[in-house]
Amino acid sequence: MSASSPTPTPTPTRQTKASPTLAMTANTPAVGRSTRAARRFGARAMRLAGWLGLALLVVAVLYPLLWMVFSSFKSNQEVFANPWGLPGKLRWGNFGRAGSAGVVRYFVNSVLVTSASILTTVLFSAWSAYGLVRLRVPFGGAILGLLLGGLMLAPTVALIPLFGLLQQLHIYDSYWALIVLYTAFRIPFTTFLIRAYMIDIPPEVDEAATLDGCSPTQAFWQVILPMCRPILVSAALLQALFAWNEFVFALVFISTGDLKTLPVGLMDMQSRLLTDWPVQFAGLTMAALPMIVLFLIGQRQFLRGLTDGIGK
Amino acid sequence: MSTTLMRWRSLAWVLPALVLLLVFVYYPIVDNLRLSLFSWNAFSVAPTFVGLDNYRTAFHDPIFWTALWNNTVFAVVSLVFQVGFSLVLAALLEEFVHQRLRGILRTIYFIPAVISITVAGILFSFLYNPEIGLVNRLLGAVGLESWQHSWLGEPSTAMGSIIAMSQWQSIGYTAILFVVGIQRIPKEFHEAAKVDGAGPIRRFFSVTVPMVREMTTLIIILTVSGAFLVFNEVMVMTAGGPSDSSQVLGTWLYRNAFLNDDMGYASAIATVIFVITLAIGAVQIVVSRRRRIQW
Amino acid sequence: MKHTMRSASFAVLATATAVALAACGAPGTANPGAGGASSQSLSAPAEKSGTITMVTKFADPKYAPYFESVTKAYEQANPKVTIKLEQVGDQPYKDKIRVLSASKQLPDIYFSWAGDFANKFVRAGLAADLTSVIGPDTEWGKTFSPAALKAFETKGKNFGVPIDLDAKYLAYNKSAFTKAGISGAPASLEELIGDCDKLRTAGYTPIAFGNQYGWPAIHYITQLNAYNVPPDTLAKDYDPATGAFTDPGYTKAVDQFKDIVTHCSSKDANGVSHEAGQANFLNGKAAMHYLESVEFQALTAKGGAPKQLADNWDFMRLPAPQGAAGDAGALTGAPDGFMVNAQSKNAALAVDVLKFMTTQQNAAKLTADIGWLSPVQGSATSANSFPQLQSALADISKANQFAIWLDTVTNAEVANAYLSGIEGVISGSKTSKDVMTGVQEAAAKAKKQAG
Repeated sequence: MSASSPTPTPTPTRQTKASPTLAMTANTPAVGRSTRAARRFGARAMRLAGWLGLALLVVAVLYPLLWMVFSSFKSNQEVFANPWGLPGKLRWGNFGRAGSAGVVRYFVNSVLVTSASILTTVLFSAWSAYGLVRLRVPFGGAILGLLLGGLMLAPTVALIPLFGLLQQLHIYDSYWALIVLYTAFRIPFTTFLIRAYMIDIPPEVDEAATLDGCSPTQAFWQVILPMCRPILVSAALLQALFAWNEFVFALVFISTGDLKTLPVGLMDMQSRLLTDWPVQFAGLTMAALPMIVLFLIGQRQFLRGLTDGIGK
Repeated sequence: MSTTLMRWRSLAWVLPALVLLLVFVYYPIVDNLRLSLFSWNAFSVAPTFVGLDNYRTAFHDPIFWTALWNNTVFAVVSLVFQVGFSLVLAALLEEFVHQRLRGILRTIYFIPAVISITVAGILFSFLYNPEIGLVNRLLGAVGLESWQHSWLGEPSTAMGSIIAMSQWQSIGYTAILFVVGIQRIPKEFHEAAKVDGAGPIRRFFSVTVPMVREMTTLIIILTVSGAFLVFNEVMVMTAGGPSDSSQVLGTWLYRNAFLNDDMGYASAIATVIFVITLAIGAVQIVVSRRRRIQW
Repeated sequence: MKHTMRSASFAVLATATAVALAACGAPGTANPGAGGASSQSLSAPAEKSGTITMVTKFADPKYAPYFESVTKAYEQANPKVTIKLEQVGDQPYKDKIRVLSASKQLPDIYFSWAGDFANKFVRAGLAADLTSVIGPDTEWGKTFSPAALKAFETKGKNFGVPIDLDAKYLAYNKSAFTKAGISGAPASLEELIGDCDKLRTAGYTPIAFGNQYGWPAIHYITQLNAYNVPPDTLAKDYDPATGAFTDPGYTKAVDQFKDIVTHCSSKDANGVSHEAGQANFLNGKAAMHYLESVEFQALTAKGGAPKQLADNWDFMRLPAPQGAAGDAGALTGAPDGFMVNAQSKNAALAVDVLKFMTTQQNAAKLTADIGWLSPVQGSATSANSFPQLQSALADISKANQFAIWLDTVTNAEVANAYLSGIEGVISGSKTSKDVMTGVQEAAAKAKKQAG
């Protein structure tokens, strides 16, 4: 399972949302009546096991990542001779070499494709959500059905026909190929996400806008869209995560080395620098860090997006 | 009258999304069915119509079955970790951990999901490397030399090693989803159970598990369909080798389309993937229908 | 207003559908463009101007600069010409060129291995017939070694311009041999296996071997097949239209390979890249390494090898088994080359670029810069190469015939069956019989497709 995004369930009906409880449930062991001692011992053992498990997982998650970062400062000899320890000195040159081996280029490509596809996906999805929720477009049910179906269609299945189609349209091997596909395949999900949020905006809001003499278009841009800001941010983050990591399309529909995005470019780089371990680690570190930083900055929004967008 | 026209005009709002969807999602998927009835390749001058031949080929192709089996194993193992294990993890986080630390732990567990599969895949290729890899060094350090393997280089361990990497990457992600589900459980339930003298384990089974049922369904669907669409992990780590032991449907499709020069057969494999994901999707609809969806 | 709005949206929808339908043509129908190479004279471009696209598989930073500098030099000499050079890695090239071909975006000049890989393009009408300019009797053709030209000959016509000569040799560390008490290069495969045991006792990995993508093992098999199977049978089996692979020599070859792995290497090889294996030979942990002559430079001080090894290595052919049924004088290797797109609008210009690339001067530069042997006669001199390279050139010219790489000489199905089977042999999950069963099935399938 990839870190793509969860499928939102199309549920207009909505229970009151329990906001994430931040209050701590006090962890006083339940005071029993009869077998207090035994229970206390059991609870202690439980806690110990629980903590141990949590700690182990922290090590399992962080250690490989730290190893990656440490190794990117080492020399080739050090990687072999001293895989566990800290690097003897900080060899920033490894990063420079990884950069000139293509990482910077791939990085720029990824940023371009990701940001463009965020823009198109969120915009088109917000439009269609608005049309479906507020304007009651003709055949709304059928369109919703199409969108729902689109949630289940796997990109891999379309690979071979798309290959011909993109050539017909003369966008094969260009940024556009990826931007268009990342948009098309993500519209269903993003539309449902935004739609679920829009449904909850009370109709009075629009009515007020209409009374003020707004056309539906103006109401959308000036009233509805600003009100949807939280979900738009979440949608953008989820799209970023998707586009940044997407692999199949990026592998098949981009053939020029200079246009490759990070996931494919890194694989390419690996086949070019097979024995230059530290430079490869440096490349990986350079590719991973921005996303981690972005996540750390936006994690609160991100979690809220998850809470809002799914399984309501 | 004018309202009718207004309604028709409003179609413009959904048009861009609809056009993209029809041209780039629906049309290729339908066309794939047609292509799977031909024999053709990147160099062929004219494709020949072969009917269901490509499907027959799949039926008699041992590697196709290996791939399908690998996808299935992927799904089963992922279910154990992504549903069982990560629910326990989420419950532990919510039950035990102090608020500030909880946030930190959640963040840490989520990090692998943020780095791309390619990065994780290459990183694990290094971990599994028989010469510089930490896995073998660790085993050597604790005196288990006999357990050392060329992890990605042996048919018996390659697929397992890839699956292990995938679990490492996804567990934090699903745990976060469960946390979201657990936080939605009204506190009274737990309080009531506590008053009844239920310990944490009892409460986990009698309150948490039933109350996050919806999220569980969602994660099961995500995990299973994800497992049948696996491509990136395998491509980066083994490209389906050694001896095709780690082929999955996605990589076998790719191999046939672009390396074995058999586009028709690749389309047939794509159709199989399509049918499987469609079935999973249908299950999802049935399940969510049960939750009274109003269109 | 409202009306126009509505009809406009329908117009958009209609165009989208039309676009979609336009893409409904039968898959992969090639339409030989008018004005392709077939209809123009290739000997000299009317005017040296225009854009040439070129794709190679030499993205490796060791090799890439040479091709960049030669194309730049051509552009400088002909200011009106732009060469769009794209270089990808060895492994990605195999998918990439297919993708370009399927998408009718084949570049004007593209790299090709000799054998069925090149013939695929010939069969599909994607390779220009260059006989008129590079045939053995032409002025340009005479500058090449005949064997190299012949490798790109199909049905008596020349389709490729050989760019390098490449053969597979077993390099060995002389001081390791001395330490293990081995007097010289083994004369037979059996002797080699005995030497491996001695080297292991002396604490060496006998042969450094990484087989991550499967092709390194295939090179062993290429050589062993040539040793164990009579040449006529081999030629018949490698041709997709007549392949059967039933000769007992094939099974024997796989068994011999299994012996080499058991005695000289390790079953972990599939998890190690060829280059990582090579590192063990460079740092003196391994005593031998089976590599291509184009990689020799990496074993020299100039190529960054440690001095201990750089001053201390020699090479031999993989020794033949005693009493083998095939050709003991065959040598695994082939020239690599460039082909010209038959549908190129600038075929004559493309030919001119390739002529420039294979002048005596640029061929010598190839040897000097990256240590490759050029098929251009008289290009390697003691001034621009190192001793081992010159003796390799002498050895190549002594070879009875080239045994072209198995994974490019035969069709992809058979190559993949071999690839996957041999990986299984290394890790111990398959026997030689299993491998050959798989290969025979693949050959039958290929025959059906070719027939």
